Amino acid sequence: MKKIDKSVADAYFRERTRNMIIYFIIWFLVSFGVVMIAEPLSELSIGGFPFHYFMGAQGAIVTFIILLFVNAKLSDGIDRKYGIDEEKNVKLSEGKSLDH
Amino acid sequence: MDTQFLVSLSIILATFALYIGIAVYNTAKQTSDFYVASRGVPPVFNGMAIGADWMSAASFIGLAGTIMLLGYDGLAYIMGWTGGYLLLTFLLAPQLRKYGRYTVPEFIGDRYNSHTARVIAAISTIIISFTYSIGQLSGSGVVIGRLFEIDAKLGTMIGVVLIATYAAFGGMKGITWTQVAQYIILIIAYLIPVIFMSLQLTNSALPWLSYGELVGKMGELDRELGISEYFAPFTNGTKWQFLALMFTLMAGTAGLPHVIVRFYTVSTMKAARWSGAWALLFIGLLYLSAPAYAAFSRFILMTKVAGSKISELPAWTKSWVDTGKLQVADGNGDGVLQWSELMISNDIVVMATPEIANLGVFVIGLVAAGAMAAALSTAGGLMIAISSAFAHDIYYRVMKPNATEKTRLNVARISIVVATVLAGLVALDPPGAITQIVAWAFALASGTFFPALILGVWWKRSNSQGVVAGMLVGLAVTLGYIFAAKYGGFTILGIIDTGAGVFGATAAFLANFIVSLATPAPSQKIQEEVLDLRYPEQMTYKNGEVWMNDDATKA
Repeated sequence: MKKIDKSVADAYFRERTRNMIIYFIIWFLVSFGVVMIAEPLSELSIGGFPFHYFMGAQGAIVTFIILLFVNAKLSDGIDRKYGIDEEKNVKLSEGKSLDH
Repeated sequence: MDTQFLVSLSIILATFALYIGIAVYNTAKQTSDFYVASRGVPPVFNGMAIGADWMSAASFIGLAGTIMLLGYDGLAYIMGWTGGYLLLTFLLAPQLRKYGRYTVPEFIGDRYNSHTARVIAAISTIIISFTYSIGQLSGSGVVIGRLFEIDAKLGTMIGVVLIATYAAFGGMKGITWTQVAQYIILIIAYLIPVIFMSLQLTNSALPWLSYGELVGKMGELDRELGISEYFAPFTNGTKWQFLALMFTLMAGTAGLPHVIVRFYTVSTMKAARWSGAWALLFIGLLYLSAPAYAAFSRFILMTKVAGSKISELPAWTKSWVDTGKLQVADGNGDGVLQWSELMISNDIVVMATPEIANLGVFVIGLVAAGAMAAALSTAGGLMIAISSAFAHDIYYRVMKPNATEKTRLNVARISIVVATVLAGLVALDPPGAITQIVAWAFALASGTFFPALILGVWWKRSNSQGVVAGMLVGLAVTLGYIFAAKYGGFTILGIIDTGAGVFGATAAFLANFIVSLATPAPSQKIQEEVLDLRYPEQMTYKNGEVWMNDDATKA
């Protein structure tokens, strides 16, 4: 165990949180945002679908999946940048669970 | 005993033998195996297991039918049930994994240091999982009813016996790997009919790209019939109902105890992030296909079945009329079945379509096996959530801390059997369509666990009084709204029972905030534990300082 500067740990948390806020803005726009203006969007069409229908049936889900993979990948990068070693995480979390 | 019956039954029995084989091979040897499969499942496989746990009879049997009948308005289910994974994977799963407990009530009990909160959480888990399992049993009733050509009620009773036996004996052992197999069976069973229908109707093997045209064409057909267009928004409810339902399903996803527990089976926070991503990819395969399934079924029914003579209806109609889920009545007595005279239940569309589209005995049998896999795997997960809430959180942690492991396992098994039988009794006369019943379970989860977990992880000032008030108020408001809307005709902005979660969650957040601030802050130790959840395993927050663990000896 060695002590690290709290500002380093906070920078780690800030970086993760900033990304998360961006993901949630996109999440909100492709789902709630599109539904709120569904009527005007139905005039547009994509691949035979009215646009609002396309977003509900395909566009939103594909966006969600991409966001989750982007998060997993970028978070790994942030972990590396701050010197987090996944092997040590595995060992640490083994001892962390309560045993009953 | 026709060929169809024999083929369907053999495929179902073969898949069951596979699940039981896997379960026996992975027998649980200790408590941690029993509850969390020893925490070493790789993320890709855990993703499939989450997929099987998640995709229940509601997704497999009910979803496409719901979209077929509701048109665009049914897509709230698609977006809600997928979008919730972002809330779960970003805001809860890694943090709960770092906290390291077995069950959701255990997290709530320990984080808030309160037996009262633990017991309320355990009771909420039981209520939510119980409601959810009514949907599963009613789904297995539809499948078994069709298979034996008997009333769906009788099918439900057979389902109860199957699920109780499965969950109490086989299902609890090595459930993760059984669920991986169940995912593979159910996704193949879902995709094959969609791809075949796509080949029949659009000459394309990629339904996701080809069904757009059909949706457009159906709009024209609907205009000719003088009914509202399939894709027209908000024809079966207000825009507010759509938004409320979507929110309810998203927040409920993030608070469902039997899904959250699956994230405890991975080794680290990183593995939890990847599990979430893989899970949604696997789940997405079915959810991207459900609207295609719906469009193809509706197109076939409109163009090939509607308009034929009543006396010349194909053989499949009779078997479905026998289950009580399909009605064909010649209302105007002209001997021809009009579109408006065809009454089809949401819950049989997926099961009936392969027959309607003449896809052959093998595909029909496969779909039945897939539907059973979906109902069984989710019911298995739900029953584990109920039994661990009762046997672990109430019986062991609160009532009898000295109970032996053997007694606890017996209590767990008995609670599974009792819960299944009770849920089966309710499912005999289901109070709604499968997707609707399941939506109530989500509304309850979003009114109780979603606020309790979000504030528990992200707000160190939230205390035991706050969470107790939040869960009780959330539960009362959600239940109250469901009953008032369903039986009393009471609605706000046109939001009906399925969207109740939006009110439950708001009330619970408010109650938790207000009561927490009005009462003393939680102990320094708890507040530090909450801040600690912001960082990866290697960083520890203690006494206002952050420590980096380098030598990986146990902290």
